[in-house]
Amino acid sequence: MEFGWTADEQGFRRELLEFLREALPQDWEEIAKDGPGSDVQAGFSRAFCGLLASRGWLTQHWPREYGGRDASPWRHAILGEELWARGEPRGPQYMNVNWIGPTIMAFGSEEQKREHLPRISRGEVLWCQGFSEPQAGSDLVALRTLATRDGDVYVVNGSKIWTSYANYAEFCFLVVRTDPESKRHRGISVLLMPMSLPGVEIREIPSVVGERYFHEVFLSDVRVPVSCRLGPENDGWSVVTYALQFERVGAARYARAALTLDGLAARLAKEGRLADPTVQERLGRARAICEAARLLSYRVIDLRAHGQPPSADSNVARVAGTFADRVVGELGLDLFGPDAFEYGGFAESNFRLAMTAGVAVGATEVQLNLIAQRFLGLPQE
Amino acid sequence: MDFELSDDQRAIVEAVDALLAQHAGPKRAIELFASGEYDAALEAALDKAGFLDVALGGETGPLDAALCVEAVARAAGAVAIGASTLVAPGVVGRTLPGPIALASAGASPIVRFGAHARTLLVADSQAGLARIVELSAGDAEPVRSNFGYPMGRVARGLQKSGEALPPGSYERLLAWWRVALATEAAGTMRSALTVTTDYLKQRRQFGRSIASFQAVQHRLAECAVMVEGTRWLALEAAWRGAPVEAAATAVAYATAAAARLFLETHQLSGAIGYTREHNLHVFSMRLEALRLELGGVGDHRRALARARWGGAT
Repeated sequence: MEFGWTADEQGFRRELLEFLREALPQDWEEIAKDGPGSDVQAGFSRAFCGLLASRGWLTQHWPREYGGRDASPWRHAILGEELWARGEPRGPQYMNVNWIGPTIMAFGSEEQKREHLPRISRGEVLWCQGFSEPQAGSDLVALRTLATRDGDVYVVNGSKIWTSYANYAEFCFLVVRTDPESKRHRGISVLLMPMSLPGVEIREIPSVVGERYFHEVFLSDVRVPVSCRLGPENDGWSVVTYALQFERVGAARYARAALTLDGLAARLAKEGRLADPTVQERLGRARAICEAARLLSYRVIDLRAHGQPPSADSNVARVAGTFADRVVGELGLDLFGPDAFEYGGFAESNFRLAMTAGVAVGATEVQLNLIAQRFLGLPQE
Repeated sequence: MDFELSDDQRAIVEAVDALLAQHAGPKRAIELFASGEYDAALEAALDKAGFLDVALGGETGPLDAALCVEAVARAAGAVAIGASTLVAPGVVGRTLPGPIALASAGASPIVRFGAHARTLLVADSQAGLARIVELSAGDAEPVRSNFGYPMGRVARGLQKSGEALPPGSYERLLAWWRVALATEAAGTMRSALTVTTDYLKQRRQFGRSIASFQAVQHRLAECAVMVEGTRWLALEAAWRGAPVEAAATAVAYATAAAARLFLETHQLSGAIGYTREHNLHVFSMRLEALRLELGGVGDHRRALARARWGGAT
C-alpha cells in the first residue's frame, strides 16, 4: 500500500495540464455553460476529442489491438480527473471510452469490434445510451421496448427516455426485451443500434439542467440487423451489469466538485470573506467530503489496476462522489445567495450540473441497496 | 498508487491482529473499563513485538504504524496507541516513555490516558511550540467517565512546563495528532458498524431480520461509505507524513463521520445498544471521545480551509 504517483503518471499529468492550457480556449466556461448537450459544447467536444486521440490519450488504457496503448488505468483516471474538473470537454465521449468500448471488447463479435472500436478510439463517433423507459427508471428490468425477431433483423418498438446526446449520437447502446414472454432480468438483449435507421424519432424534453439535456427516443418498427446484437440473445442483462460497473465510476464527479470548490474559495477571497469562521467551516467540510470521494474512486481504479473484477466498491465510490457534488452545489448557492440567481454564473452553472448527481446513471437509493447487500452482506427479504 | 497491502504490510497486520486476539477485544475492554485501568500488559506486548516504533523502522514508516493503530482501535485496545506509534515518532523523531497523553495548553485539563501517562505531549498554541512533560505521581488524577477510555485531569500549570521543542513542533504535533485521531476513529468506527450489522442480521422483528429493511439498510450503507472514506483519508495522510492540509482533511471527515456513526448505530440497535452486556458501547462511546478531542470538527474544518485557501484565524 502506498499513495504516490509514479514518475510516468506525474509526467503525464504535467503534459496534460500544459496541453489543456493550449487546447481549452479562454472562453471555455462560456462554451460549457449550457452543458454538454448544447450545440456549442458538442461541436467543441468533437474537435477536442480528435486532439486527444491524435496524442493517443483518448483511449490510452485500452489494449493496443483496439487502438489503445495498454496504459495503466491510473493514466486514464488522471485524464478523467483533469477533464471532469474542467467541465468535461470530451462531452459525451467519456461514455464511449469508459464503458461502451470496454463492453464491446468484452462481449462483441470480431466484426463489431472492427466496426466500432477504432472509431471510438479516434474520437469520431458519438453514442447515447438507451436504458431508461417511461415505466422503467430505477427499476430498469421493468423495461418493455420489444425487439421481435424477423429473419436477420429485429423489429423494435417502444421508447426510451432521459437519453442525453440522442440528438447527436450515431449509435445507441439499446437495451431491449427480445423474449416477449420473459420477466425481469431474463429475456433482455443489447443492440448497438444506428440512430439513422427509419422509425427512430427524437423529441427534446426541455429541462432546468441545460440545453438538450434530456430526450425521449421513440422506436416504431425500427429494423435493426441481428448482427448489431451485443452478446447473447436473452441474456443481455449480464452485458448491462458489466457496463454499469464501469459507468458508475466513469465520471470523476469528485474532481469537478473539488475544482468548483477552489473556484468558490477564490471568489470568496476576492470579496475578503475567507477569514469568516463560518465560511471556513463550510468550505472545510465540503473539501473533506470531496477528498473522501477522490480516494474511494481511486480504490475502484486500484482494483481495476490489480485485475480484480468490478465490486460493490464502485457503488461506495459513486455514493461518495454524488454527495460531494451535491454538497458543493448547495454550498455555492448558500455562499453567494441571490447573486447566484443569474443564469450562467459560476455557482449557478455548477449547481445545475450538480443537482442531477443523485439521479443520473442510477439513483443513489439503488447504489445504497447494492452496498447494503454486496458490501455489508445484509439480507434481502 | 496501490491500495492493496504489500507482503510486508500484510505480515505486520496479521502479526498485530494475532497479538490483539490474545491481549485485546471488547470483553477485555469492558473488564478494564470497570476498574478504570490502562492496559499496561497490552502496551508491553505491543512494545516487545516491536509495533510501537514501526514508524521509525528502516523498512517501515508511518503508514505501517497507522495500520497498527487502526488494528488496535478495531480491537478496542485500552492503550494510547496513536500517541505512541504515530504522534511521538512524527513530532520528536523517537519513541517516548509510555503511556503518552496529548493535551492542548489552555484547553480542557481532562485528557485521554491522563491519569496513567508517564509523558504528556502539550500543544502550546500561544508559544507556537510543543512541549514534552514528564509526569510524576500526583500530577494527574483519574476522572470518572463514560467515554470509553481511561480519562485523567492533568494539573493546569504542567501544560506550560517541560522541555520545549523547536519551532514548527506545534504544527507537527497538531498534524500528527489529527492523523492519529482519524486513524483511531477509522478502526473504532469499523468495529461499531460491524457490531451493529452483526446484531441487526440476527435480530428479528415483524417476522424478519431487521437488517433486511431497506430503511435500515440505507443508513448502514451510508455509514459504510463514511467508514471507508475515513480509513483511506487517514492512511493516505499517514503515508504522506501528515502534511497540515491532509491531516486536517482526514480528521475533519473522521469526526463528522464519527458523530453520524454514533447516532445511527445506537438508533438502529435499540435499547440493547446502551447496555454493558452488548459490545456497541465499547466502540461508540470512544467515537464521541475522539470526536471532541483537539477542538472537534469545527476546528478541524477551519484548519483545513486555512491550510488550503489561506484566510486569517
